[in-house]
Amino acid sequence: MKTFEQKWTAWLDDELSGPELSEFEASLPNKAAAQAEKAEAKKLGQLLKRELSAHRLKNEEFFSHQLREKIVHESGEQHHERPRRSPTSHWWTIPRLLWAGTASLAVFLICTVLVMHQERPAEESQYLTQILNARVDPVVSPNGTVSIFEVKQDRVTVLWTEGLQSLPADYAAK
Amino acid sequence: MQTEATLAQSDVSELDLVKRCQDGDTEAFDELVTRCRTRVFGMIYNMVHSEQDAWDLAQESFLKAWKSIGRFRGQSSFYTWIYRIVMNVTIDWLRKKKIKGGDAEFDDAIQLREIDPASKTVPKTEALPHQAMEREEIRARIEKAIGQLSPEHRAVILMKEIDDMQYHEIAEALGCSIGTVMSRLFYARKKLQSLLRDVYENV
Repeated sequence: MKTFEQKWTAWLDDELSGPELSEFEASLPNKAAAQAEKAEAKKLGQLLKRELSAHRLKNEEFFSHQLREKIVHESGEQHHERPRRSPTSHWWTIPRLLWAGTASLAVFLICTVLVMHQERPAEESQYLTQILNARVDPVVSPNGTVSIFEVKQDRVTVLWTEGLQSLPADYAAK
Repeated sequence: MQTEATLAQSDVSELDLVKRCQDGDTEAFDELVTRCRTRVFGMIYNMVHSEQDAWDLAQESFLKAWKSIGRFRGQSSFYTWIYRIVMNVTIDWLRKKKIKGGDAEFDDAIQLREIDPASKTVPKTEALPHQAMEREEIRARIEKAIGQLSPEHRAVILMKEIDDMQYHEIAEALGCSIGTVMSRLFYARKKLQSLLRDVYENV
């Protein structure tokens, strides 16, 4: 929906046509005064165009030359700035921080796993072993060993003998 | 809108030049500048009424265009695209100048005497012929009247009346709606008609 000002402008510039034009002209209270104002606006436009179009750029080639120099200067500055800034300002960028954080976390986890593994208490043997060599007569049985395996939970004791010619008489179960 | 590109009748299309610019070809950009520098300078001059300022603002605009040419997608003409940069640069400058307490009106007349003729940024100015004095007075009246408009109103009236730009092109250059362009044109014309009626009725 155009405002009156917008319709008026379009009418002055001959941009209204068809039903929009006839509707707008019918809405004007004084068509003759409106036509006179339209003619004034046309004169104003002609005056502006005649007087203001004449101003031209002097020294056109120098204008372009100066602009070229500025562009070269700007481009040169950018080329010089890039390598100078990269080692300092680009070092702790967000990706680098992320990598550093991830690597630190991984090292920490590995160390933690290793330490926990080492500190885990060794499982207590299910058996208690006693070597009873002292009771074996080395003359009778020089390579003989007697071992006792005892399962605490089940209250079971296994007597394991190797290399004995015979059980010592004094080792009889009492 | 007729651009200098069409006037130049160059075989190289505007889009080809833009693509070459995007690949870093400064010669292609130089060609684009050559095609539209006069119109750009003229538009800025009519906004700020100072040759020195218009020169510097045009340089700044083209430099910004070079830096951001990679973002130009070819959805509008290069001329419309660069006009947006030109208008941003010029309107910002006018606003800052207003805040600082300066006024762009008639600056040129003062500056022409103050500028060092050897200065690199100052175009050579020629002495006004005596028979052109009357026309200069008219021109001064027009510039004074335009100086009383806001930067946005100046922009729309100049783009419409001097450059024959369409509403949608002006809207694109200023980053506003077509309706806003039409409303601004309405108020700009009303203001100028009240200030310049005796001029255009008697010329």
